[in-house]
Amino acid sequence: MAAMAAEPAVPDYESAELYTRAFRVGALGFGWRQLLGPPDLSLAEEEEEDADLAVAAALDCAPATAAELRAVCSIDMLMSSEKEEDPDVIPEDSSLLTLRMRKKALERREETIIVDRACRQETLTFEMESHASGKRPDNPTDLIEEGELLLTLNIFYPVIFQKHKDHKPYQTVLVLGSQNLTELRDSISCVSDLQIGGEFSSQPDQAPEHISKDLYKSAFFYFEGIFYNDRRYPECRDLSRTIIEWSESHDRGYENLQSVKMEDYVFNDLSLKIGFPYLYCHQGNCEHIIIITDIRLIHHDDCLDRNLYPLLVKKHWLCTRKCFVCKMYTARWVTNRDTLAPEDPCFFCDVCFRMLHYDAEGNKLGEFLAYPYVDPGIFN
Amino acid sequence: MSSLPGLKEDCEELLGAFQQADTVRFERFAELWRERRFHTIFYGRIRALERNKITKKTLDLARQYFFPPYSFQIRVGALYLLYGLYNAQLCQPKQKIRIALKDWPEIQKFHLDLLDSQHYDAAYIFRRLRLARAFHFTAMPKLLTYRTKKKIEENYFKEEFKDPSNRVNSLITNDVLEELMNVHDHYQKMKCVISADKSQPDKALSLIKDDFVVNLKDITLEHQEWQQSRMKLFRNAKVTPETENKKKEETWLESEGPERASALARIKYKSYSAVVEVSKSRRHRQVQLESSESGPSCGKSPGRSKKASRTPQPARRGSSEVRGEMQVAEETVTRHIGMPVITEEDSDEGEVSLPKRRR
Repeated sequence: MAAMAAEPAVPDYESAELYTRAFRVGALGFGWRQLLGPPDLSLAEEEEEDADLAVAAALDCAPATAAELRAVCSIDMLMSSEKEEDPDVIPEDSSLLTLRMRKKALERREETIIVDRACRQETLTFEMESHASGKRPDNPTDLIEEGELLLTLNIFYPVIFQKHKDHKPYQTVLVLGSQNLTELRDSISCVSDLQIGGEFSSQPDQAPEHISKDLYKSAFFYFEGIFYNDRRYPECRDLSRTIIEWSESHDRGYENLQSVKMEDYVFNDLSLKIGFPYLYCHQGNCEHIIIITDIRLIHHDDCLDRNLYPLLVKKHWLCTRKCFVCKMYTARWVTNRDTLAPEDPCFFCDVCFRMLHYDAEGNKLGEFLAYPYVDPGIFN
Repeated sequence: MSSLPGLKEDCEELLGAFQQADTVRFERFAELWRERRFHTIFYGRIRALERNKITKKTLDLARQYFFPPYSFQIRVGALYLLYGLYNAQLCQPKQKIRIALKDWPEIQKFHLDLLDSQHYDAAYIFRRLRLARAFHFTAMPKLLTYRTKKKIEENYFKEEFKDPSNRVNSLITNDVLEELMNVHDHYQKMKCVISADKSQPDKALSLIKDDFVVNLKDITLEHQEWQQSRMKLFRNAKVTPETENKKKEETWLESEGPERASALARIKYKSYSAVVEVSKSRRHRQVQLESSESGPSCGKSPGRSKKASRTPQPARRGSSEVRGEMQVAEETVTRHIGMPVITEEDSDEGEVSLPKRRR
């Protein structure tokens, strides 16, 4: 906590290689901006021309020396001057151990593999990672300012399947230091926001009006002893109150828990530890672990359109439950005690569900209870 | 690192050859690089996603040699290596070199050293990298995911690349000595306070040798003097042949040979003594100390007393050798905090602290 008081924070490990001490996010940006000059922070598209005179001035040497340096230290000095090479081909007689080992691995792969192409998931991962990089806004006012901070957050899904025992699925989001916490909250997509409560076998068309997101708007983030509650709407409740009361009612070892309004804070205001697990809770008890894995200055190769943030750069591919009839589309309905279905519960896509359970006028056929179903893989 | 077999060996081989060449000239480095065709390191049929990962890891590996405890020459080599790798990579857009805020002062110091000793090529290349915006200015050197590793990677340092003689100096810096004396002083005073006879501590409290600190100081000074004289010998022996080599190499800079060599030696020496300076972790701790003043056990003299009662951190000493250079600062903290305990241990056996710490 001592780092909080100091003006520019220099984060350091609290637990080696695992997480840092708590520091104020904005102070990190301040610290870097103090140390760096305009060329380091520049987001301009073109690299700055480096004139001999500038070099001479910076290095305190003669302009002639600068010209010489340009020649001697040119990157061409490191590249082979010979014929064009194909980067896909590893040269035969390489003395580099890395290449010899890689060559062996690739050859082994070639022998065993049947189809040699990127699988869908790999393509998707790459696309997600790079789709926005280097993007610039059409409107110059949306351009991100120099020296802005970029936070990388891993947001975990609240799943406890056995198969995810070791590697919990998560999505990775980039947010800007100047962005409000509510902007992140609004961008987190979770199936529990889309749940629809109730039984709709007699009026299936009315189901979409009862989405949980619109009914229960409360949510909070928890960072370093402070609950950041979403209080933007009058119907929002302070979800953290029960927790704070619980911790105060007995001596639980958690003192000074505070509750503040999420909408009053941007990420720069937060004090947190990088690499430390925090919490996002919504819908009363849908709990997502959040880990800030990285904070750094924005770079000109990053996406520079402010409107595209929070930017999703990675998400887990979840299996979807398919319709029992067509076996093709993702299930939208689940029925219980269904006289028309072979299983209980039984899953249907919207089209098949209506075709099977209703006649042309929309009258209910047979006996069943129908509940809207939201598949966890819906965001794939 | 584990997923990039052979890379560490390749980098160390190149840096080792550079060290053998006994120079910091980029020209020589480029020769060595070309001999090995090092730019082909990224070659092979690799898809974009994998390539990004490999490149990130490669830069991450090379970056480690850019920081202490590696010697000045290895660090210059690492700078050239980063320059080469950054430009040779096949990623589009290029992967960046991550620099943590806590490491930046070290780089600035290094840069000043380069300028002071007129290693224009190294300084120029550092400038090129910055202008090419090859760095990500980050909070921490790595992404932290709170994933506890099942197998802790042995992150050893290549001995030959390190500054050979800075261990004692980095363990017992002038500040540590000074602080140790203060702590000892304070310890004595505290003993007096709680003793029956206020002017002199009880016999029962005499648990350490009173002259321990003084002895330690003397030994350290002796060691420093011995080292300096050895350095002088080393330098004198080296200057003549080195000058000859250098003259050939550096004609393009038209600089005076002997001047260069002595400047280089000065810088090398500087980089030894550089480690002795206050690490930033200490400053941090100073703040902590002051903030903990309000504690009840403080008694008369504020600030200092806490230190003695501070519980030692969980023992990390065994592993401290092998951990990343980023931990150097933290390690220092650990040692500082553990200091009073060590004092007691050592006193039982006499003044064996030096060999013991040297490991």
